Amino acid sequence: MGTELTRNFSIIAHIDHGKTTLSDRLLEVTRTVAEREQQDQLLDSMDLERERGITIKSHPVTMSYPSRDGKVYKLNLLDTPGHVDFSYEVSRSLAACEGALLLIDAAQGVEAQTLANVNLAHQQKLVVIPVINKVDLPAADIPRINHQLEDILQMPAEEAIQASGKMGIGIVDILEAVIERVPPPPEPADTLLRASVFDSVYDSYRGVVSYVRLFSGRIAKGTKITMMSTGKTYEVKEVGVFTPRMTKLGELVNGDVGYIIANMKSPSEVKIGDTITETAKPAPEPLPGFKEIQPMVFSGIYPVSTDDFESLKAAVGKLQINDAAFTFTAESSAALGFGFRCGFLGLLHMEIVQERLRREFNMDVISTYPGVVYELTLSNGQELHVDNPTLWPDPGTIEEIREPLVKAFIMVPNDYIGEVLQLVAEKRGWVDHTETLDGTRVMLTAMLPLNEILVDFNDKLKSSTRGYGSMDYEHAGTQPSSLVKMDILINGEPVDAFSTIVHREKAESRGRDLAKRLKEVIPRQLFQVPIQAAIGAKVIARESISALRKNVTAKCYGGDITRKRKLLEKQKEGKKKMKAIGRVNIPQEAFIEVLKSSTSD
Amino acid sequence: MSGTRTRVRHVYVHVPFCHRICPYCGFYKHQPGKTSYETFAGALTNELRFALRDCEVVPRTLYFGGGTPSILPGNVWRGLVEGMGREVDLSGLEEWNLEANPRTFDEAKAAVWVETGVTRVSLGVQAFDEGSLQVLGRDHGPEDVAEAVNALRRAGIREVNIDLMFSVPGQRLADWERSLHAALDLAPDHLSTYNLTYEEDTEFLQRYESGEWTADADRDAEFFLLADRLLGEAGWVHYEVSNFARPGHESVHNRAYWAGADYLGLGPSAVSTIGGARWRNLPDTVRWVGQIQGVGHARLDGESLSEIQLGMERMALLLRTSEGVPRSWVEEDLAENLIGEGLAEWRDASFVLTTGGMMVADEIAAYLC
Repeated sequence: MGTELTRNFSIIAHIDHGKTTLSDRLLEVTRTVAEREQQDQLLDSMDLERERGITIKSHPVTMSYPSRDGKVYKLNLLDTPGHVDFSYEVSRSLAACEGALLLIDAAQGVEAQTLANVNLAHQQKLVVIPVINKVDLPAADIPRINHQLEDILQMPAEEAIQASGKMGIGIVDILEAVIERVPPPPEPADTLLRASVFDSVYDSYRGVVSYVRLFSGRIAKGTKITMMSTGKTYEVKEVGVFTPRMTKLGELVNGDVGYIIANMKSPSEVKIGDTITETAKPAPEPLPGFKEIQPMVFSGIYPVSTDDFESLKAAVGKLQINDAAFTFTAESSAALGFGFRCGFLGLLHMEIVQERLRREFNMDVISTYPGVVYELTLSNGQELHVDNPTLWPDPGTIEEIREPLVKAFIMVPNDYIGEVLQLVAEKRGWVDHTETLDGTRVMLTAMLPLNEILVDFNDKLKSSTRGYGSMDYEHAGTQPSSLVKMDILINGEPVDAFSTIVHREKAESRGRDLAKRLKEVIPRQLFQVPIQAAIGAKVIARESISALRKNVTAKCYGGDITRKRKLLEKQKEGKKKMKAIGRVNIPQEAFIEVLKSSTSD
Repeated sequence: MSGTRTRVRHVYVHVPFCHRICPYCGFYKHQPGKTSYETFAGALTNELRFALRDCEVVPRTLYFGGGTPSILPGNVWRGLVEGMGREVDLSGLEEWNLEANPRTFDEAKAAVWVETGVTRVSLGVQAFDEGSLQVLGRDHGPEDVAEAVNALRRAGIREVNIDLMFSVPGQRLADWERSLHAALDLAPDHLSTYNLTYEEDTEFLQRYESGEWTADADRDAEFFLLADRLLGEAGWVHYEVSNFARPGHESVHNRAYWAGADYLGLGPSAVSTIGGARWRNLPDTVRWVGQIQGVGHARLDGESLSEIQLGMERMALLLRTSEGVPRSWVEEDLAENLIGEGLAEWRDASFVLTTGGMMVADEIAAYLC
């Protein structure tokens, strides 16, 4: 069977440019979903996705569309994650398509993320169809968007389709453009099975469901398959397509987008980007583009109450089932007790995981200061990857340290360029080049250490540009850097939860800041408590909590004694929740307080 | 309490009546009215009689607190003492204390107290400066205090204590110093100096919680140290966190509490501790009288104290005193940490807090327990 009636495409857009609404409208016009079944944002099924208006997982759907040319086409829409944290997943989804709709908000115009997405689509050699969305808005400025298309994206303005997902304008035009401009899946050179996995979910009843695009061959129930990255073999139990619900079919063939269920026990057995082939007649080479996903950002996650460790362990385990990119290993901290060292694809991913732990698992958790993976070359020639400050080797043994960089695309109104340049400099970055976009805005391309944008870069960008600045980034290798491990010592003893890797020049101000905050939250004790920030043996900042001067019950007679004892019992109970550091006891809440404030601002 | 009956040597009697309710006071008290003084005195005698079923009461000390015990008219007082005297032998009393407010008694009433056996009167003075007296809602002035002390002396009261308060909102260090001098000028035998505490269910606590007033441990410490220094220079003994005495005039009754002795409490809200059992009486005068008349007692909140709990209490209480705790009660390394900071010292076979240590005695108790 030919593929000339099949089109595979995805929608790429900046957040809030109306991707989900438009997808829903496409489903409606093609009668894939009856109107009465419609509820807004059909494809974003996770609560969090709906609420934040972002897509985290892929949501493919197969539509049937009778075109003006009289033929009925099979259109496969792959709704893709829109954030750079998931750029690998995006690239795999895009690789499963031949075309992409590029959505641009008619009022807001091209944003930083739009550019990053277009670059990704070009890398996959997709046909890009620009769609100016939300043309019904009073603030819509189509001539301006047309200019941006030509100037910034180098696309002919006349190729753009004007649409409004909300009002149902231009939907048929879009569908017709997909049929006309997006090529059908190419004819394969042979009939060997090659299917690319672009996402997977774990269903507790059906097991691991792999989302696939077939580039050649066919696959059906009973096919014996091999995962090319692991060499493991399985038997297919079911195949089908999304309509958008999973609908069983007899087989999937070259050009199809759908799902397969095989006898896999664990979600970790399927890797995004892997190639599935037939065990009996394997393809000689896998499809290009497969990578093992590596977490980029790390942070410790601890239960606020140490009693909740077991529940947290269960929760992170369950989370990982549907989020293979999230990694965790148990660790223990002198200050926070037992918890997990967790790896994330990026900042948004980290936030999402923390949020899901709180919301879906009701966990009260605290995170340590996030960090990145540093590449170290030791004097003895050994190469080391360090994602946890507690594993930082003796500085005397380090030959070179390299830190990950990002290439950031920052779009700001002209009036705020100064502020942004200052912010970039403050974050140890430099501006590579500047492009004027449309007379009112510029696009700065800046190189920044990933470490520096982890905590507050986006907030600072927003606040210094009155909310007009937008930023996106892509990973851009590493650079040698003068980094040090800074410890916080309380009463002379290092408190692991506060150890961080910082640039030498930033160590002092960060150390001073942390010491000051700790001083504010640690209650006064019987003894004076010194707080120091140190690099190795060298103290770079110090504070001191003076000894408590007075705390004594005034009246202690017959009727007061029980109260006094209960107070004492309470103090003793409280001591159990404290961390003994030398001869002082520090309430865990104090650490948590400081971690909260230092990771949220 | 089966077998041999416990012999109790210390008795506390709570007299809940006050003419005026002070906005800082957390004790059970109310204005006179519903229950007549005679009915109240009769119920106390009945309560004592009932208590004798469980224990032998041979008082060495008797302490009438309140409330305002001095409010009781002379004839009611006489009747109460006679009634109690019929139940227990009061002849072995070493100390018989009565709390009194200025302007609630005269020399004649004090003479009745002396006649019935009272040896010590504790005057609720709180302050000598107008500002503090007003904030505290007291209805007496400095001259009333002088008159009260004179009346007590003339009537033959052997020991006079004056209660004072510090860290009262608005009170300055100079006010406190003047109050201490004014108190010394009246030549009492004993001074209790209490850091103002914001007690549950008081107007003061509301004002504190509303943010109108704040607590400041450093300021409290200044007041505390001033009293310690000034009274020390006058030759007084700082023998408990909140108590000073001329040498030899320490309160026997209170020391019995701190040493962990058993005591029987009579009257509404009074607490008793006898043989490891502790209970509190109903804090409601009308219901207390009703229960005494009906079943002979009005006890509630009964608890049995474990050896560990008793040990903790003894440790916490004795640490507050100049006597300290036996050396064997404290862990050597913890003790040395405190000594190194100047908070405590070894004195013969005892571990004793210094003045600096007394100020943080609650923390130290928690540290050592």
